[in-house]
Amino acid sequence: MRTGKIIAETFDLSIGYHTRNRVNMVMEHLSLEARQGELVALIGRNGTGKSTLLRTLVGLQPELGGRVRLQGVDLHAIGSSQLPRIVSFTSTEPVAVRNIRVHDVVALGRFPFTNWIGSLAPDDEEAVNEALGATGLITLANRSIDNISDGERQRTLIARSLAQDTALLVMDEPTAFLDLPSRYSIVSLLRQLTREQGKCVIYSTHDLDTAINEADRIWLMTGEGIAEGAPEDLILKGIVARAFESPQLSFSSNTGTFSFIRKQQTGIALEGKGLAVRMTERALNRCGYTRDPQASLKVTVSESHEGTEWIVLRNTGTEHYRSLYDLVSSLADEPVQ
Amino acid sequence: MKGISSRLTLTMAGLFLLVVLLFVADLLIGSTRMDAAEVLRSLFGHGTPGGEIIVTQFRLPKAITALIAGAAMSVSGLLMQTLFRNPLAGPDVLGVSSGAGLGVALTVLTLTPLFTLSSGSALQGWGIILAAWAGAGAVMIIIMAVSARMRDIMTVLIIGLLLASAISAVVSLLQYFSNEAMLRTYVIWTMGNLGNISYPQIRALTLSTAAGLIIAFLMVKPLNAMLLGETFSRTVGVKMKSTRAVLLASASILAGSVTAFCGPLAFIGVAVPHIGRLIFGTTDHRTLMPGLALCGSAVLLLSDIISTMPGGGHIIPVNTVTSLTGIPVVLWIILGRNGIGRRF
Repeated sequence: MRTGKIIAETFDLSIGYHTRNRVNMVMEHLSLEARQGELVALIGRNGTGKSTLLRTLVGLQPELGGRVRLQGVDLHAIGSSQLPRIVSFTSTEPVAVRNIRVHDVVALGRFPFTNWIGSLAPDDEEAVNEALGATGLITLANRSIDNISDGERQRTLIARSLAQDTALLVMDEPTAFLDLPSRYSIVSLLRQLTREQGKCVIYSTHDLDTAINEADRIWLMTGEGIAEGAPEDLILKGIVARAFESPQLSFSSNTGTFSFIRKQQTGIALEGKGLAVRMTERALNRCGYTRDPQASLKVTVSESHEGTEWIVLRNTGTEHYRSLYDLVSSLADEPVQ
Repeated sequence: MKGISSRLTLTMAGLFLLVVLLFVADLLIGSTRMDAAEVLRSLFGHGTPGGEIIVTQFRLPKAITALIAGAAMSVSGLLMQTLFRNPLAGPDVLGVSSGAGLGVALTVLTLTPLFTLSSGSALQGWGIILAAWAGAGAVMIIIMAVSARMRDIMTVLIIGLLLASAISAVVSLLQYFSNEAMLRTYVIWTMGNLGNISYPQIRALTLSTAAGLIIAFLMVKPLNAMLLGETFSRTVGVKMKSTRAVLLASASILAGSVTAFCGPLAFIGVAVPHIGRLIFGTTDHRTLMPGLALCGSAVLLLSDIISTMPGGGHIIPVNTVTSLTGIPVVLWIILGRNGIGRRF
């Protein structure tokens, strides 16, 4: 049983922004919470207002109604010098300079603690080194921000947030533009911070896979509002499927993954065992075939010491193929019934 | 860490020495040929009367002005580039230089005929300076008023550029309706001149530059945060509106005063910050600010020495020197790094 205290909460919050002469309300009646030691993933389709919510939480944007409380204190009651010690924010804003060392970027996270000229006291230096250590950047500390990978740059920004030593870390799309292994490593780093340092991390993402697998809590933004709960709660209630399904996309609650809906389906019989047959089914699905034991068209997967072989049985005779690519190419020529 | 800081001390000391050497060289080399001993004797009041006038009334004030103006323009450019997150920003983009130009144009092209001032008179000197200062100050106030209303700093940059264009159109109009002598006075002002400045004027320039530099140096911490973006700066507690206002004021005081006393000095404000970043290999304003002040002084002293090269009493306008020697340097930096791009 987790009993972390509540770090961030909203009461009947309305978010949006003021334009020249009218108020643009993005979402209303949001009552959410995030606790110490929790990884909270904010997901939702483009334009649902994820950034607006995060920016409102950290006080960059005024709330249009309701309240935000951080560590039990109303956001407006927290002084402007105190707020940076409670919450840190990482946006997708690019760094304007290329000539700056990883260490110096992280050191800027100590901004709320340093003197007028920004020089690092021994405990600041210690906090910077701890942040570099926790994010695995010690060996890159003296490299310039321009000479590291996108994933390492994102780690640098997370380290900067850590150096700021806040109970709440809010991050807007920390996994954007990253490849799959980097996305996983960033999210597992965030999870590690919640477990080992008791941080509360709220991050927005488009990467449903990692969010469902790693987050303790999901805030799922839809047109109607935000659904809150463990990832599995939201899957059970069918909320994830409702939020993201479209004519082209279906969500499988069993595996927690999405797949495309194929239009034309031709029956095909498939025989064989193991991984080879599962891969064959995938390949066949992709080019518009669906498994049907009664079909006149039949593929047999046979495995021998010479390797895998695919045998296609048609009305006109049999053909042999050595790879799925060749098999699928030959079936693509087949007239669709 | 230790290695880095000792290398920094060495670089800084080297630059300081270079500035001292260039300052001495600027005293020794001039359009009139004088040997070193004669210059030294004149400097301490034991030279020929002619020599003393050349050294104490002409070369010394010119060298001091180059020293101060170079530092002021470079730091002003640095503030602009960080504030606008733009590698090509400089003191001229905000219209401060053109504002000063408008002040001068109004004075020279419309008011002068009423007073029939002789060229080089003390009254005309202060008149032009005050007019340039007023012009630069007016533009600065407009820009500050705009930036207080606008959240996006890029909007301020664009408005500054538009303002500069509008002002130059007005100046063209004034030029069109003025006579040849007035036109000549104005055009000579636009070419930049380090030498046409008296000791009381140097005192005024020194005081305003010192004020600008002190304000700028008090802002190194928020300036460093601003390198990582405005959103980041706000979330660590930088009050953006007041910080912006202070930075604009400091940059305008620096660039406005120099422009008022020396005319618009091209290239230094934009290019020296890049040279400084290259030399020091850092973007930390704590290092860059004193470092750039030294670089700027060195560059302007060197430009001044070059401008006296033709000899025989002739001097090339310093603005053409800073442009002709500076543009290749900037070009070399841009091409050598495959472009400045959107970052610096």
